Amino acid sequence: MALKFLVVDDSVTMRRIVSNSLKNLGYDNLVEAVDGKDALAKLAADENINFVITDWNMPILSGLELTKAIRGDEKLGAVPILMVTTRGVKEDILEALQAKVNNYIVKPFTPQILKEKIDQILANN
Amino acid sequence: MGKAPNNMSGLFEKLHDLKSLFKYGEKIVPIIQSLVDFMQDTVPLLENINHSIADSTAKIPAASNQINNVTSATELATTEILDLVDALSMNFDKVETKVNLAKQKDIEKAALLEELQKEIKKNSKASELLSKYMEMKDSEAALNFVGDLLPKFKDDTYHITLSLQVQDITAQQLAAVNHLIDSVQERLSSLIQDIDSTEIKELTVGKIQAPDGVAFDPNAKYSKSKDLQNMADVIVNNANTSNNNNNKASQDEIDKLFS
Repeated sequence: MALKFLVVDDSVTMRRIVSNSLKNLGYDNLVEAVDGKDALAKLAADENINFVITDWNMPILSGLELTKAIRGDEKLGAVPILMVTTRGVKEDILEALQAKVNNYIVKPFTPQILKEKIDQILANN
Repeated sequence: MGKAPNNMSGLFEKLHDLKSLFKYGEKIVPIIQSLVDFMQDTVPLLENINHSIADSTAKIPAASNQINNVTSATELATTEILDLVDALSMNFDKVETKVNLAKQKDIEKAALLEELQKEIKKNSKASELLSKYMEMKDSEAALNFVGDLLPKFKDDTYHITLSLQVQDITAQQLAAVNHLIDSVQERLSSLIQDIDSTEIKELTVGKIQAPDGVAFDPNAKYSKSKDLQNMADVIVNNANTSNNNNNKASQDEIDKLFS
């Protein structure tokens, strides 16, 4: 099944950078969302989305809340989630893992790290 | 009658006490006077302090708005840079396509020239001219040079894009500063209203207008150090290993990794 990414970030700059990086890695099939609530709406509207890359700090619905919402949803529960955030504190990483993100990237990220984490997630799923 | 001497003695005692009180009063009055003088001097000073705090507090929203403007301006500028970088990348792609096409055409031309050389062998002048032409043909080297540089140009422009992550990180830092300023303003407003119960006009009109729904990480920082990512990797790997063993990692185990 072809990969379709959902890039979730309230920063327009970060959405473009993550999207450009995905395109550079050969993943052209992607959609963007401005916060967790928007992301849930996009997921509900498009069954082909099968990979979520999300920021943590976002208004309305944070990345952590989005992760919990996805994991709590019967249909979406298994969608891989990669968190890309500035939050580099140990407790935050543990909290994200408890919410069941598949992997974690601390901003600023490099393309190598992004590729490595996507590959790891795909290999484990 | 027997009570009269007692009453008198009591009266004298009271008078004595009163005299002592007057004497004490004589001593304390200058002190009270100096205290009153001090208060008279101090009240204007306190009023000045109060007004200074009120003035400073009234200026805080302007500072806060300025920070919001800086965030908006840098976001706009970053978007413009990203647009230009995208345009550059697209142009590099077009140049790369043209260069590859030209290289392919050169190979085809070289084959045609070789064929032509065979055909005009008998014509020594034409053969000589063709040989000269083939020696002068340096487009292959130029095309290879440009072709080799293009991936580097593309890589460099992509790295410009990646460096622009700094905008998101500084925006979060500025949002954190704004939040701090907001807290200071609230404290100062509360202090002023405690000192002077009348509400200060500037404070109501100059309330900070924080952007709606701003979410930020107060500890956001732009660092090229790999330490944080390495720490995240260790925690994630440890969690995955523990999950595979059906045995959740304890905080102690995680702490040991970083001790």
